[in-house]
Amino acid sequence: MKFSVFQVSRKGGRQLNEDRMGYSYTRSSGILLLADGMGGHPEGEVAAQLALQAMSALYQKQANPVIEDVTAFLTAAVLAAHRQIIKYAIEKGMLDTPRTTVVAALVQNGMVSWVHCGDSRLYLVRKGQLVVRTRDHSYLEQPPKGHTPTRLAEQANRNILFTCLGSPAKPQFDIAGPVALLQGDKLMLCSDGLWGTLSDDEIVHELGAGVVGDVVPAMVEMALERAGATSDNVTAIALEWETPDAFADTTHDEATEKLEDAGFISTMQSGGMDADDDELDDAAIERSIAEINEAIRRSAAKRR
Amino acid sequence: MSKVKPAALPPDTMIGGYRIIRKVAAGGFGVVYLALDSDGQQIAVKEYLPASLASRSPGELAPQVPAEKLSLYRLGLKSFFEEGRALAQISHPSVVSVMNFFRENETVYMVMNYLEGAALQDFIIIARDQKLPKVFRESTIRSLFDEILRGLRIVHQHKMLHLDIKPANIFITDDNKSVLIDFGAAREVLSKEGNFIRPMYTPGFAAPEMYRRDSSMGPWTDIYAIGACMYACMQGYPPNEAPQRLEKDRIATALTRLRGIYSDNLIEVVEWCMALDPLSRPQSVFALQKELSREGERRYTKLSVAEKVRLQFDTMVTDSKKSGKALASSVVKPK
Repeated sequence: MKFSVFQVSRKGGRQLNEDRMGYSYTRSSGILLLADGMGGHPEGEVAAQLALQAMSALYQKQANPVIEDVTAFLTAAVLAAHRQIIKYAIEKGMLDTPRTTVVAALVQNGMVSWVHCGDSRLYLVRKGQLVVRTRDHSYLEQPPKGHTPTRLAEQANRNILFTCLGSPAKPQFDIAGPVALLQGDKLMLCSDGLWGTLSDDEIVHELGAGVVGDVVPAMVEMALERAGATSDNVTAIALEWETPDAFADTTHDEATEKLEDAGFISTMQSGGMDADDDELDDAAIERSIAEINEAIRRSAAKRR
Repeated sequence: MSKVKPAALPPDTMIGGYRIIRKVAAGGFGVVYLALDSDGQQIAVKEYLPASLASRSPGELAPQVPAEKLSLYRLGLKSFFEEGRALAQISHPSVVSVMNFFRENETVYMVMNYLEGAALQDFIIIARDQKLPKVFRESTIRSLFDEILRGLRIVHQHKMLHLDIKPANIFITDDNKSVLIDFGAAREVLSKEGNFIRPMYTPGFAAPEMYRRDSSMGPWTDIYAIGACMYACMQGYPPNEAPQRLEKDRIATALTRLRGIYSDNLIEVVEWCMALDPLSRPQSVFALQKELSREGERRYTKLSVAEKVRLQFDTMVTDSKKSGKALASSVVKPK
């Protein structure tokens, strides 16, 4: 499995950045997470953090190295996150509970599945075209039956969600996928700080315009600039699927193959993807040295 | 196990076609030698020889590793490879470059370009001993970190973090270039627990998330260290450790004292980099570079009389609280 990931979170004009993001992966599976702690309730940033921790902890427990039952996992992860927040609020004797949105994408076996609750979104873009994006749990995007929002009401209602994690009511969430990924597909999770300022067309266009390491920070910068001093926090985490060409016979996972079955890596600690093969025998040492010297030669060649 | 450090290889020993001139440094990971290659060019050779896991008697070539330490030794070897792999991919004047990697004497060696000069740490100590209001000139700080950030940006582009940026790991060469060195600590694995690889950290320069196991490190973690290095260049001594700051944060007060000496913009940049909340820092080197290179007239806001009095009062309080312990930040005298 090979992919590149880029994540960025920028504080807008708000006092606090309540957005949280992260990712975790094993040798043959990966999960991207993003949560946007809600204002109007206490400690949104804690809710967001707890949600991510709970979900990634469950992931790390169950991904051996893939998740067996994706739907069951995504359901359990969201509910675990919800429970963690409620537990935190009870332990602290809080009058009101912290709340957060969440969106998570699980990538394995060349497929992506996702879950979301609230208005943090997932975009899947292929060759510059939108394949799919999540529908927010807001009155705007999922109006009650028989209700047609007027333009003004749309504006007013954008931020009003009918579900989230941490509220006393059981969260509503949607699970979707699996969708097979093709080489070059881009997957982005983002907070409303991004999509609230940039249109879908812009987001899709920008995502298609280059590698995630370039286009994502550019988009975030654009959103911040456009929203000006009162900008919401803008957070995005994006993945580009780099599976080898389907015609080549090497379909093995180049980037994560060195991870042991039980090994996983969490949130860009480093490029050191070979976290664990304890059997560093003579052959492995020779291989490592050869690899490093090969890399040195390549870099030296580039320099010229 | 004996506390005797493993013996360095003697001058004129030939390893991998290089001739050792002398030992230049030794750390927990091993030994660095100045050596000559077959063309007579000076190079640096880093030998993997962790003092806590291996021993070597004078005159011996191969280190001895007790059986019970073998697995840790091998684990450390992996982090040595990790450093090699990291450096091999990067080719930038502000990042130390690795030229060769080889195995001999039952251990491994990394050949790097040999830098002549001194660590930023040495310059800070010399500068602060002159007891001038400014440790370094603002323009010096700006251009030095501009160079380092260019290198760090490339490091991050390769999805790697340095994780041990500090004045001792910023090298200033005799021809006035600054170079980021020692990528080994970033992947220090000798305290391994489960599947986590816990990096080591240097107090004062390590971001708060380095102390927590569950937390997410990212470019912002190195950026915290950059802010701390800039702080050290302005104050002449390192900032308080992150855990201490979480209890009582004196950084803002310490920086206030520098107002009028350094520009408001520089002080703000340092404060931004050193925010305790990772998300409140510049999230990328690019964002920091942009702010640091902002052109325009520098503004200097002098302290008002009231502020000076307040600071003085603060110092008195601090002094009485900390009597006998380390000197309060405002009156630290080196050495």
